[in-house]
Amino acid sequence: MKEDMVKLISAEGFEFVIDKKAAMVSQTIRNMLTSPGGFAETEHGEVTFPEISTTILEKICQYFYWSLQYASGKETEFHIEPELTLELMMAANYLHT
Amino acid sequence: MMMNQRNTIYFEQGWDFMQKGITKLKNILEGLPEPQFSSEDYMMLYETIFNMSTQKRPFDYSQQLYDKYRESIEEYITTTVLPCLMEKRDEFLLRELVKRWLNHKIMIRWLSKFFCYLDRYFIVRRSLPSLKEVGLACFRDLVYQEINGKVRDAVISLIDQEREGEQIDRALLKNVLDIFVEVGMGLMDYYESDFEAAMLKDTEAYYFQKASNWISDDSCPDFMSKAEECLERERDRVSHYLHSSSGTKLLGVFSYSLLNRSGDVFSVSGCCALLRDDKVECLSRIYRLFSLTPLWLEPVANMFKQHVTAEGAALVKQAEDAASNKKEEKRDDVELHEQIFVRKVIELYDKFMAYVNDCFLNHILFHKALKEAFEVFLNKGVAGSSTAELLATFCDNILKKGGSEKLTDEAIEETLEKVVKLLVFISDKDLFAEFYRKKLARRLLFDKSVNDWHERSMLTKLKQQYGFQFTSKMEGMVTDLTLSRENQTSFEEYLSNNSNANPGIDFTVTVLTTGFWPSYKSSDLNIKAEMVKCVEVFREFYQTKTEHRKLTWIYSLGTCNINGNFESKTIELIVTTYQAAALLLFNTSDRLSYQEIMAQLNLSDDDVVRLLHSLSCAKYKILNKEPNTKTISPTDVFEFNSKFTDKKRRIKIFLPPVNEKKKVIEDVVKDRRYAIDAAIVRIMKSRKLLGYQQLVMKCVEQLGCMFKPDVKAVKKRIEDLITRDYLERDEDKPNLLKYLA
Repeated sequence: MKEDMVKLISAEGFEFVIDKKAAMVSQTIRNMLTSPGGFAETEHGEVTFPEISTTILEKICQYFYWSLQYASGKETEFHIEPELTLELMMAANYLHT
Repeated sequence: MMMNQRNTIYFEQGWDFMQKGITKLKNILEGLPEPQFSSEDYMMLYETIFNMSTQKRPFDYSQQLYDKYRESIEEYITTTVLPCLMEKRDEFLLRELVKRWLNHKIMIRWLSKFFCYLDRYFIVRRSLPSLKEVGLACFRDLVYQEINGKVRDAVISLIDQEREGEQIDRALLKNVLDIFVEVGMGLMDYYESDFEAAMLKDTEAYYFQKASNWISDDSCPDFMSKAEECLERERDRVSHYLHSSSGTKLLGVFSYSLLNRSGDVFSVSGCCALLRDDKVECLSRIYRLFSLTPLWLEPVANMFKQHVTAEGAALVKQAEDAASNKKEEKRDDVELHEQIFVRKVIELYDKFMAYVNDCFLNHILFHKALKEAFEVFLNKGVAGSSTAELLATFCDNILKKGGSEKLTDEAIEETLEKVVKLLVFISDKDLFAEFYRKKLARRLLFDKSVNDWHERSMLTKLKQQYGFQFTSKMEGMVTDLTLSRENQTSFEEYLSNNSNANPGIDFTVTVLTTGFWPSYKSSDLNIKAEMVKCVEVFREFYQTKTEHRKLTWIYSLGTCNINGNFESKTIELIVTTYQAAALLLFNTSDRLSYQEIMAQLNLSDDDVVRLLHSLSCAKYKILNKEPNTKTISPTDVFEFNSKFTDKKRRIKIFLPPVNEKKKVIEDVVKDRRYAIDAAIVRIMKSRKLLGYQQLVMKCVEQLGCMFKPDVKAVKKRIEDLITRDYLERDEDKPNLLKYLA
């Protein structure tokens, strides 16, 4: 497992490998990964979300990257399909993003 | 998806799940074998809280969860943590406390992570203390409040042990004291009231005790070195484990308790002994310790001042005694003693300045003390001569040829610098200026100055220190000489161009601008025809250069080279013009009486006596005197001594100068009167209206840089100006003065 990558696993078992930096956009994930006296996962860099579906998780990962881009000054659009909106919001709340 | 298929989680059910997680956490903290939390565990716990807080009413359990959070912590503390702590004491207590505190912090962190959803919305909405604050408050209220007394005592006893030389665990103390700080959650209240106050008191008591022990056992230097050691250690303590805010307070208490008692140790005689014995180390130490409390430096500075004053006064007395021991006024010896005195004063200055710089680290109090001390004894004068005069004479000796000091260029510069520095302490600076000017005139006119460059350099130094006014006349004098030299060159050219104007004698004229030079009596010396011609020739020449200038001839300052045709050989005599005039009389007569000489020369008795003495009763007897006594009386008769001879072919016959001292002092007093007048008018012109006392004060202030005016004199001048209609008294308020334009 590379140093600065983490793996996010959806309810269906899909694995999304993203930059740690991107994942840290979520406070929840950040808390988990930076907690000392640690979780077993901190070494492995894997987080399972048994309650989040793959589609949503994928969208979330995209959001992470978009957020980083936006922070560094680039003004781009983040397109959300309307069907996903509600679930996406709930997930965002859950992940504190 | 979580939303759609969510089952309402009932409180007991949800809490039960949470409780398992919390118990697992506690076990981990206690060191029991438990697998670590996996991220799944975490997510589940987090999610449980999340769900329970976002359910619709009445299933929104946020408040209960918040309360349960607190309860869990409290329960853990009361059941597990406190009992462990209560049974321990001293160092063990401290260790346990630190361990428990660290654990507590970890627990709070984990629990906050589980419950963090509450932090985001519930707590903010209700403005409740955050999870972290709640956790901290629990610890503080349940644990800290119970045991802080015991903890404090344990810490203080460890500190005292360290003071006695034992090794203690500093890291432990630091950790414990950090707790005191952290418990305050941003404020230092707990640290200060629960720990610091007691610690300071203990320190005070400790050092009080130490001080009494040491005073009875140790000498002053030992006491001081021990004190300094302790100071260093206390400083060390602050940097290693005490909180930085305690630093100043601790040192304050330290110096108060340790040094206050020992105020008696440092009585004047004690420190004086240190100064006398040159115990630089000890003095520096005293300074370092006392500088903790600036108030205490004052007595030390006072004592320093007294010591310096005493040393200075001793020097003055020494010089006075030496002067009064001389039975006759042997000029050289007197001069020598004056020289020695000034040299010693300079040495004294150097020595004590070094103290101020090195021991007392240039502290302003000590500079002031030094200044005041020097002012006291330097303004007393020695054996009738004021110090101003002595300094001027000293400079003269350095700067003139054949002076008693033979110094290298550097040494000369250095010494002159010191003189300028000492001058600061003298209140009659104008007196010094006048004496210096007089002596400078002699040096310049009789070509006695060692080095023109040094003269200029000294004037520059004086100018830098005391302003342009101080040295303007003297600089004028030096410039005059340069101009004169140029003048002389053109005069010689003029002579070579006009052969009929040639007076037949080699003749040099130095033209002095009256304002710059000291005033000299001009006398109507009857000069011989040859000399008269010289004077006329020069006058003509000078008319061609400038008009509207009047030349007054000062014969008393001239020198003459004259050939004495003695029987054995011809010797060239270097004499003053007066002496030359007298000798030339003997070209026409062999014998002359005192009265005849006086009549022919047209000089005063004083002058005649002096010059005849130098020619007949001094080292070289050019004239024979009847009777052959050592003094001149108006009935003496003089004869040319044709039998006179000497090894040398050229001799200088010294004519001692008149003692100018009285005149200088008179001049200065006169100038002061004018200066006071000018100052008064200046002040009144700008103020228009001023109270009497204030005017006097302002006057003294303004003139202070040159001399210390006598208040009575100032008052007299004010009255004088009133009669001269420069000022007037106000009709209603006689103490108010008005300026009359």
